[in-house]
Amino acid sequence: MTRALHPVRVDARGRPVEAFCGHCGRPPEATESQPATRVCRRCGLGLVLQAPKGVAPQAGEPFLVVDSRLTVCAVSRKAEDLLGVPETRAVNRHIAEFLTPAAAEASRPEDLLAQLVAAATSDEDADTVVVRPVGEFGVRYRARIGPCGPPRAALIVLGE
Amino acid sequence: MRTLKTSEAAALLNVSPNTLRAWERRFGYPRPQRSSGQHRLYIHGEVAALRDALQEGLSISSAVSRAREALTADTDSLVGALSSFELERADLAMEAALALRSLERSVEEVLLPTFDELASRSGVDSAPWAFAARWADGWLRRAQRLSPAPTRNVSVLVGDATRDELDPDALAVRALELFLVRAGARVLSLPVTGVAGLADVLEAHPPTFVVIAGGHVPDDHVARWAYQARSAAGPLPVMLFRRPAPSGSVRATARALPEGPFEAHRLALGILDEVPAQKDTRFQPGARRVTATRRVGT
Repeated sequence: MTRALHPVRVDARGRPVEAFCGHCGRPPEATESQPATRVCRRCGLGLVLQAPKGVAPQAGEPFLVVDSRLTVCAVSRKAEDLLGVPETRAVNRHIAEFLTPAAAEASRPEDLLAQLVAAATSDEDADTVVVRPVGEFGVRYRARIGPCGPPRAALIVLGE
Repeated sequence: MRTLKTSEAAALLNVSPNTLRAWERRFGYPRPQRSSGQHRLYIHGEVAALRDALQEGLSISSAVSRAREALTADTDSLVGALSSFELERADLAMEAALALRSLERSVEEVLLPTFDELASRSGVDSAPWAFAARWADGWLRRAQRLSPAPTRNVSVLVGDATRDELDPDALAVRALELFLVRAGARVLSLPVTGVAGLADVLEAHPPTFVVIAGGHVPDDHVARWAYQARSAAGPLPVMLFRRPAPSGSVRATARALPEGPFEAHRLALGILDEVPAQKDTRFQPGARRVTATRRVGT
């Protein structure tokens, strides 16, 4: 049995990165026979993005993408269900309309926003923060925050 | 204006035709027109704008949003030209709009929204409004003159109940006339204030249906004009465009058309197509009925 060798993609700092669809979250199909496209060939409803390994969403993890102005640019299918808002109504709105730090005494909303800006603009390592949907209490997610792109943006993966 | 078949548009975006149709359902973009055979026809400019936005986007939604913004730049451009009283620039803005859209969509999506914006900026009784409205009235009439000769055996009598070309509804009425002409109908537009000699005109140009358009002229004047039209041309389907439903005790039935001239012209022609097959059922149950003070043309 032979296995095809795939090059390991790395970011500017040499860290391995993973590609995933911004809608369904799955890795892109191998498409050697087809011209390159950023549109996910599995679901057709998202663009293929990259994030450092360990930050990129794993199967079934909901996530959002925000740009350096903190406006929502992508909402995964799972996150649409979780937040109760379709991506088409969430894009171009401020992330603070959807997520806020879960423990107000431990972390202020500005801290979350500062982390997102840092992820979207610098090469800092991934960070974690506990967040909750705005207007909901008792629901908490440990969120991974890190860079993604292209173009450069911040990824928020909502974990357990 | 260049249009693309589904396969061509999909190839330009490097996606499958199914994906393109899925985008239309989910994002409402790109929004195709339909060919005479009901096949999708995409406007090249819209598809190209989306292709460029996808290169820079983080999601299809954000790319669609950027592509739409690129297209609304035409409205901003026309607002800017008319606000600074530059007619040549206004003509150029409409030319740019026409490069990306059909004439109907250019009027609906660029010209008419421009006037909503101008109305909110300076009011409809202002000199800037008059300046811009006269330009638009001329533009629409010119487009109508350049339209092909009638191809349908349909003649529309438009009872113009607007004040004048500065009436806020007048541009929509001109747009409706233009769309009807471009759909192959013959359009005769007469002010509802002119009752004398109406029979002579209608004898020479017998209408297939009547559209009473605009809300400025009072109901009793309109009723008098409609009575004359009915006496001369017989009972005809009557539709109301941009005219509030009349009120009163004497009943009449007319059909209210949508506010948008494009939908209005489609509905009007659609109703007319129903008429021969369903002689007395042109106003089906569920159709919006309007009760008027006098019996108007039914």
